[in-house]
Amino acid sequence: MDKLRAKVRSLLTEGKVAGYLGYLIKDGHPLPHFFTKENLAEVDQAMVAPDSARYPLDKLLIALAGRYPEAIFAIQVRGCDERGLNELYKWGQLDPEKVVPVGVACTQNQADYCECPGPWASVVDYGEKCLPVAKSRRVERIDTLAEQDAFQEWLAAFKRCIKCYGCRDVCPMCFCKECSLEHEDLMSTGQLPPDTIFQLVRAIHMAGRCIDCGLCEETCPADIPLRVLYKKANALVKDLFDYDVGSPGAGPSPWKVLGEDATLEAKPM
Amino acid sequence: MSDSTFEPKIIGFFCNWCTYAGADLAGVSRLQYPSNIRVIRVMCSGTVSPHHVLRAFQKGADGVLIGGCHIGDCHYLRGNYMTVKRMRFLQDLLKFTGFEPGRLHLEWISAAEGPKFAQTVRDFTEKIKKIGPSRLIAAVKAA
Repeated sequence: MDKLRAKVRSLLTEGKVAGYLGYLIKDGHPLPHFFTKENLAEVDQAMVAPDSARYPLDKLLIALAGRYPEAIFAIQVRGCDERGLNELYKWGQLDPEKVVPVGVACTQNQADYCECPGPWASVVDYGEKCLPVAKSRRVERIDTLAEQDAFQEWLAAFKRCIKCYGCRDVCPMCFCKECSLEHEDLMSTGQLPPDTIFQLVRAIHMAGRCIDCGLCEETCPADIPLRVLYKKANALVKDLFDYDVGSPGAGPSPWKVLGEDATLEAKPM
Repeated sequence: MSDSTFEPKIIGFFCNWCTYAGADLAGVSRLQYPSNIRVIRVMCSGTVSPHHVLRAFQKGADGVLIGGCHIGDCHYLRGNYMTVKRMRFLQDLLKFTGFEPGRLHLEWISAAEGPKFAQTVRDFTEKIKKIGPSRLIAAVKAA
């Protein structure tokens, strides 16, 4: 932790950043905190979020950057958070010149739990790199199910939805000002469970964009395996368009450009 | 419901410049095709969001047919590149969640292909009749 605190302290004292978005224990809880030069002593308590208490810092940064577009901010990032930063740069929500990442490497436990293919940031200021998990067993299990069984399983999960929008509200990649999930002509209102397609629509929006931080699934009060759905959506984007979500070299999102050639063909009937 | 009495509801999203004109040609040529299809004209098949397709399924469609210009013939040059990207992705996602991906079909039909239009609608209606009523509608009704 000393290395991380020293880096943050020097960034703040040298005036390289206007503030640092990290974590601090408040009333016994690890919570997101904004560290500034004025309250430099707080940096001694700066910490890395425990695995079970992660927050969408990227989302807080979007709000900060929106209010102070000229300021440079440092932010604590895990592998997933950094993928998020890279996607947000592409979608014009953040300016890479105005963000300084303070990198964290996840523990092996966390990486195994997340089935994370890249559990560390490009700069590591805290933790040791662990082994990535290339394949998701949860996705593979659904893949092997018969169509009817898969349908029943998903249907049972979707029926539990209480339409709290928690998955959307916590998602660092959900930055739209208008949401089609709230569009009266596209999604039925005033009923529970919501339309069966509710989660599928979100999965479509997450495809090629989900950074696999897993906050949606942890937030969901109905225990819908959202992460499996979004992991698969991303895997499909990889298969169809060879696009790696959150990789700085991956080029523009396939949903953002028409492309120079039609690389796919319509499936025969 | 037995196959013989099942009349599927099929929603067609057809692009203004090719497939809709192809449907027109099929009509003025007096070509016969099933009346199960309900046509929605769109300016480009690339404007059809996967959300529209899912909404159709949610609201009781047994099949959704998307019709656009052949690749290279798009009135907006490359709009249909996006159509094929979206629909191929959606078909695969539907398969993963067990939503019967065969109910969604994309076909390129030009304004000159009246007979192809009629044949496509005939084939697709036949296919949906064979698959039977939508699993999703049964689930929605049961809820």
